[in-house]
Amino acid sequence: MTALKLVEGYMPVQMLIEMGGLALLFIWSFYLLDKKMGIKVNKLAQATGLFLFSIIYFRFRIYPPIPFSVQAIYATMTLIGIFMWVSSTETSWQDFRQPLIAVVDAKTPTTQIIRAVSVVLLPFLVGFLGWNNMKPSIDEPIELRTVHPAPPASTKVHGKTFVLQTASNPYRVDDDGKYSDMVQKKYIDGNPWDEKAPPYMQYVREGGQIFFQNCHFCHGDNLNGRGMFAFAFNPIPANFTDAGTIAQLQETFVFWRVSKGGIGLPREGFPWASVMPPWEQHLTIDEIWKVILFEYWHTGYYPRTWD
Amino acid sequence: MNCYLFKGTRKGLMIAIAAVAVGLGAGVGVLWTTGDVKADSGLSPGFIKGTNPAKPDPKMIEEGKKIYFRKCVWCHGVDGGGDGPGADRLWPRPRNFNQGTFKIRHTASGELPLFDPTKPVAGQNDLFDTVTHGLPGSAMPPWDGILTEQQRLQVLSFVTTQLVKDRKFDDKTETFSILDLNNKDAMKKVAYSKESIEKGAKLVVDKKCVECHGTEGRGDGNPFNLKDDWGFPIQPADWHKCWNFRGSREEPYKIETIFRTMSTGVNGTPMPSFADNTTVEERWHIANFVNSVCEREKDGDPFSKQLQMDPQTAKPKTNFVVPSAPIEGEIPADPNDKKWQDRPRRIIGMGGQITHKPRNFVNRIDDIWVRSMYNKNEIAFLIQWDDRTKSQVEPGVAVVPIEEAPPVAGEANSIAAKQNTYTVYNDAVAIQFPAKWQEYAPPEKPRYLHGEEKRHVDLWKWEADGTLKAYAGSGWDKPLEERPGATEKLKLVKGEFKDGRWTVLMKRPLHTDDKDADVQFETGKYIPTVFFAWDGHNGDAGLKMAVSAFYYTILEPPVPIEAKVYPILMAVGMIIAEGWILRRRATKKETMKRK
Repeated sequence: MTALKLVEGYMPVQMLIEMGGLALLFIWSFYLLDKKMGIKVNKLAQATGLFLFSIIYFRFRIYPPIPFSVQAIYATMTLIGIFMWVSSTETSWQDFRQPLIAVVDAKTPTTQIIRAVSVVLLPFLVGFLGWNNMKPSIDEPIELRTVHPAPPASTKVHGKTFVLQTASNPYRVDDDGKYSDMVQKKYIDGNPWDEKAPPYMQYVREGGQIFFQNCHFCHGDNLNGRGMFAFAFNPIPANFTDAGTIAQLQETFVFWRVSKGGIGLPREGFPWASVMPPWEQHLTIDEIWKVILFEYWHTGYYPRTWD
Repeated sequence: MNCYLFKGTRKGLMIAIAAVAVGLGAGVGVLWTTGDVKADSGLSPGFIKGTNPAKPDPKMIEEGKKIYFRKCVWCHGVDGGGDGPGADRLWPRPRNFNQGTFKIRHTASGELPLFDPTKPVAGQNDLFDTVTHGLPGSAMPPWDGILTEQQRLQVLSFVTTQLVKDRKFDDKTETFSILDLNNKDAMKKVAYSKESIEKGAKLVVDKKCVECHGTEGRGDGNPFNLKDDWGFPIQPADWHKCWNFRGSREEPYKIETIFRTMSTGVNGTPMPSFADNTTVEERWHIANFVNSVCEREKDGDPFSKQLQMDPQTAKPKTNFVVPSAPIEGEIPADPNDKKWQDRPRRIIGMGGQITHKPRNFVNRIDDIWVRSMYNKNEIAFLIQWDDRTKSQVEPGVAVVPIEEAPPVAGEANSIAAKQNTYTVYNDAVAIQFPAKWQEYAPPEKPRYLHGEEKRHVDLWKWEADGTLKAYAGSGWDKPLEERPGATEKLKLVKGEFKDGRWTVLMKRPLHTDDKDADVQFETGKYIPTVFFAWDGHNGDAGLKMAVSAFYYTILEPPVPIEAKVYPILMAVGMIIAEGWILRRRATKKETMKRK
């Protein structure tokens, strides 16, 4: 979507370093403009520019978005910082004050107009901001959900206990039927519908059949979480093509999630809202392993291993 | 060009040029037709003659095959018969490529679509556009961003040469008559205006559009008897949901899309081309009218704001807050009352219930519209949704939820073949609130599907037989429990089916005595709300239904007096501060001058 990687998951330290660096760059570039090219930019304009930039940064750079109240705190702190900067030397402070004083004194026709307009508009602006702040609001509540909660040590599916640390996908096997981490790589460009397909590819095909009879309604025909029903649900279905889902999970974790579904999530995962079926109600153990096998093959991601 | 050429009629000139072009054997040349007169060439007005596309390179076909067997085969099948494993539970079914029948085209009715393996240009390469943007309202997703342009052309090279079996794109007997939307002279687009919409409204009756699409265009005209070329049931489009029009993903409200579909027809379906029995102008009027009924922010107002689409799903954006406004006096019983019309309405996205058995794979109700208001005693919900059929269970018929069938391969056993064969049950809609929602710390709440064993929900269900009942839910696996005492407090004001739309208006007192089981409505609080809907002709009953995500009902608090007074005080304070600053500066200047 965006070429610029967003500050994801709201990481304050990354944000502080980045914001600090950008502010220094901002100040330095005006310093260079002045010293090297002789273009003097008024301190008031610089300060306003920096402040506006910081607001845009807090609003759009951080994802998921932080609440307005937090944005307001950050913006206030930035404003204090900017004041300390402009008032650090007497010349800087005079430069900052100069346009303001000019407007108040209103010696030229231009400043007279600006003064008249601001004198009239400012009370309205203050009144409007006050109203906007105090009127009853009905915004959507912000609810932060843990997407990958901590898994249990073991899970019981169809009467059989699987220890997540030791279990493995019985269908991730090489041509001789032995478990293999490499088999997916070997057949990544293969055709699962080939009549002479090796066992691994046949399992991928069977997994795909299950996927396209059960899962695509939400997770989508190209596994990106945008199936036909996805628009209606919240939380939105997982996007397997995203590096943040099955690519960073162990295969047994996925097995636990698929088997137990939304209703089997711990409270921090919002089990009340997820429509993800507990697939043990619909599929056999073998079918669940095969569909997981298919999801990794189709997206080209590899399950995370324990080491 | 010399000016005197234009002294003759423009029309004459055009015909002359057309004649010359025909004389030259057309081929590469552009054939001009004019106005609404069908030219000698046999082309309908607005169409120009095209040529067979270039033959794809064998290498592209080979690469395309690899992509096909990774991405497409699951629905479209090994032999392109539209019979992959996905087809068993899909309706509409995936496209069967074998006959070369494609819906979204710029070519005349019955012709092959435009496809050029060397030219990924939007508007000039129908199959490429379809793969790029997908087909809204069906399971076909957009492949933009998943497959590169080159990959899309490769896979289409494979499909058009290997899987389209009955016809050949390079067969010289195939004609390609192209609707030239860019030709401003022939197209003479009619602007979207009140007059044009009114003309269109008359024309949809004259041209019999309403016979299938319904009096108000909700697709309810002939919902049972229509079949596609393969004998599967098919339903007419609901004009009120333009975002579900196939080929409309980029811009649902684009009038040209409707104009194109009317001009070319939809191959493989009962939708004919109107290129020969309407004039270009008439088609623009109809297109404007069809566009005008697509839902906008205000119900029934073709000039109110268009709905914003969610770029990820290409469906209208949802807002999870359903606001209920305070009003003085009685809640109006008529949904057309100004008080109701002025209320903002919220669209609630609905998906099939596919969490527990019996799952609802073919979901026929994909959104409902909700409005709400309250007075000092009661709260009312006005729910409206499109349904092509009014369904009421026959007396004596037992309502038994359909058992979920295992996916069986084969066209006869697929879900598509079963459409319109179900026992008819009641259409219905329900609203669910947690009982004692005040006791949960947000965002915690009882589960969306009828709550949990120790976390009950209060569910109000209206059915098409005119009943409105309150139930207690205690988990998806337990039957809903009827609550006659609570049912007495519910009041059905209206439950009406008209021209493919249900309107249900229900009320309940804000507060009741049974505070443990009845939801209590307090102002300014987020009250979790879930909606359910059933289409009786889809065999919907019990858990086979449509469900929504969690929404929040909020009773908007009346504006507190402080919110009105403080801003004024702040503004006055600002005026005083301004006066003080200006005065102080003036005095300072004065002293400085004296010095």
